[in-house]
Amino acid sequence: MSRGRTIPSSMLLRPTTTQRAGRAALILLALLFLTGFLILPVVAVFSQALSQGWAIYRDSIVQEDVLSALRLTCLVAAIAVPLNVLFGIAASWAITRFEFPGKSLMITMIDIPLSVSPVVAGMMYVEVFGLHGWLGPWLMEHNLHVIFAVPGIVLATVFVTCPFVARELIPFMQAQGSDEEIAAAVLGANGWNLFWRVTLPNIKWALLYGTILAASRSIGEFGAVSVVSGHIRGKTTTLPLEVEMLYNEYNFTAAFATASLLTLAAIVTLTIKKIVEGSTGVARNIEEQEGES
Amino acid sequence: MSIEIEHIRKQYGSFTALDDVSLTIGVGELMALLGPSGSGKTTLLRIIAGLESPDGGSILLHGEESTQQSASTRGIGFVFQHYALFRHMTIFENVAFGMRVQSRQLRLSRQKIRERVRDLLHLVQLDTYAQMYPEQLSGGQRQRVALARALAVQPKVLLLDEPFSALDAKVRKELRDWLRRIHDELHVTTVLVTHDQEEALEVADRVAILNQGRLEQIGTPQSIYDRPASPFVYNFLGNVNLFHGRLLADLSSQRPEGSTQDSNDSSIGFVRPHELELSRELPDDVKAVLASVVRIHATGPQIRLELSIAGNGRPVAAELGRKQFEELALVPGDDIFVWPQSIRLFENAEDASLLLDQGAGI
Repeated sequence: MSRGRTIPSSMLLRPTTTQRAGRAALILLALLFLTGFLILPVVAVFSQALSQGWAIYRDSIVQEDVLSALRLTCLVAAIAVPLNVLFGIAASWAITRFEFPGKSLMITMIDIPLSVSPVVAGMMYVEVFGLHGWLGPWLMEHNLHVIFAVPGIVLATVFVTCPFVARELIPFMQAQGSDEEIAAAVLGANGWNLFWRVTLPNIKWALLYGTILAASRSIGEFGAVSVVSGHIRGKTTTLPLEVEMLYNEYNFTAAFATASLLTLAAIVTLTIKKIVEGSTGVARNIEEQEGES
Repeated sequence: MSIEIEHIRKQYGSFTALDDVSLTIGVGELMALLGPSGSGKTTLLRIIAGLESPDGGSILLHGEESTQQSASTRGIGFVFQHYALFRHMTIFENVAFGMRVQSRQLRLSRQKIRERVRDLLHLVQLDTYAQMYPEQLSGGQRQRVALARALAVQPKVLLLDEPFSALDAKVRKELRDWLRRIHDELHVTTVLVTHDQEEALEVADRVAILNQGRLEQIGTPQSIYDRPASPFVYNFLGNVNLFHGRLLADLSSQRPEGSTQDSNDSSIGFVRPHELELSRELPDDVKAVLASVVRIHATGPQIRLELSIAGNGRPVAAELGRKQFEELALVPGDDIFVWPQSIRLFENAEDASLLLDQGAGI
């Protein structure tokens, strides 16, 4: 404080004792919150999963039902994520590069899956494809199973995850503008060359980021999938559903062991996301510098 | 390749960007499209390039109807205001892009492409920058890369959209001279869009002046500067003093030029600052008005004076050479007689009175 009095202008910059105390209190509060609500639960998952030892943990995972749920989850993600990448690129290209009637409606519609409860999403699919739904009788005639089968799970997952790629790309592509694409077109590039040589390299980090978000959501989706799945063990249960079923059967160790798989998947995607964020951060900085100069 | 622009019209909602513009640009000519923002010059350039389609009229490239042709097949080079370089490619790859995306039959061999890129980078004096990325270059360097990239596909027409406006004054001037040299070397038909009258007058063979979507005047830089066809052109090409009413009558009864014109109440007289004569004594052969010196800007080869007409206090700008200024030995507050060497009259000019209302042209 005494130094502050001799150099008044720096008083604002140098934190006083009270300011320092306030800062410490805020950090402590945030840390306590994080520990209580995020870190402890994650620790609990792993400690519960491993409470009966490593062997039991391994056995709980290497069960046929859990493995089949894991396979189904991977399959669903493998279908839903590429579909979302395609949809996301197409939608954001259309929205950021063209003017057409109904454009703002389309932007709003992309957000529907984020605002609708996943359970409702599942029920909508039952209403359309279910036995008593609009297309149900026709599907029965042709012996096609959607609800209580893998296609229904894929559809529900695609629905819930569809905004992720598009929502990442739209603001990014808007900020980038279409100058480079116009330049490429004038230089004689056809649509194919233009996309692969100019557009894709420019959006790759944002695209990867959106893809990671979509992937982690499609692995973890519970509500919508729960409605359309029918919970047939070994056939239509994904990992989150398997966790719920094991838990309801009081098989806590197996439930937590399976849950730890999902937690691990989340940690892995978060790590990748962090790395990608670093790269997009670099790209965005460069852009800002360009804007300034 | 010649460019014929015939009765082009373009409308954006209720805004008329181009209103029946016709213009022919000759083979190997460097034409500047000059106008204030919103005059339609960039829209016209984009229509020539095929980046916009006109609502009416047609574009003929080398006598061939091209209005419906897509931008990628018109054989044009386009240079953008903000460079639009491919940020993820090296300078080399940027310049090579147009050659790489050509169809297989037309594409040059890798070796040929490499040679051509090297030649072009040499032409734009960026030989050593081939492996750098656009963000590592200055604005002027980037725009040179953009020009090399546009020239790489051997365009029959080169279109430049305010290429130097994002650069600082010194670089802008260098690049302007350099563009002229390149044009003299390659003789590519070139259209340069600019809002900078100095740039247009200095670089172009001919200048087309656009205002509110209409062509105001077209001609060589000198003819346009010496004989502006409208008050707008007069005003746009540089500082100008506007005289009207009694003051005009006071000054123009014995004007040496255009004495056949009547200066009735609605006419407005235009005089450029350097066309004003100044003297400490009342001249006996011409009519002059008395003014007092308000401010003196004495930097640069020409001295600029801000004067105020005695009586009504109307501001007038004058310019004179250093030598004459020293002879007159003026200081602020001095009284001095002013009269025009020549005065240009526009009758009933609507836009001219608009200029007066806005207080434009001093």
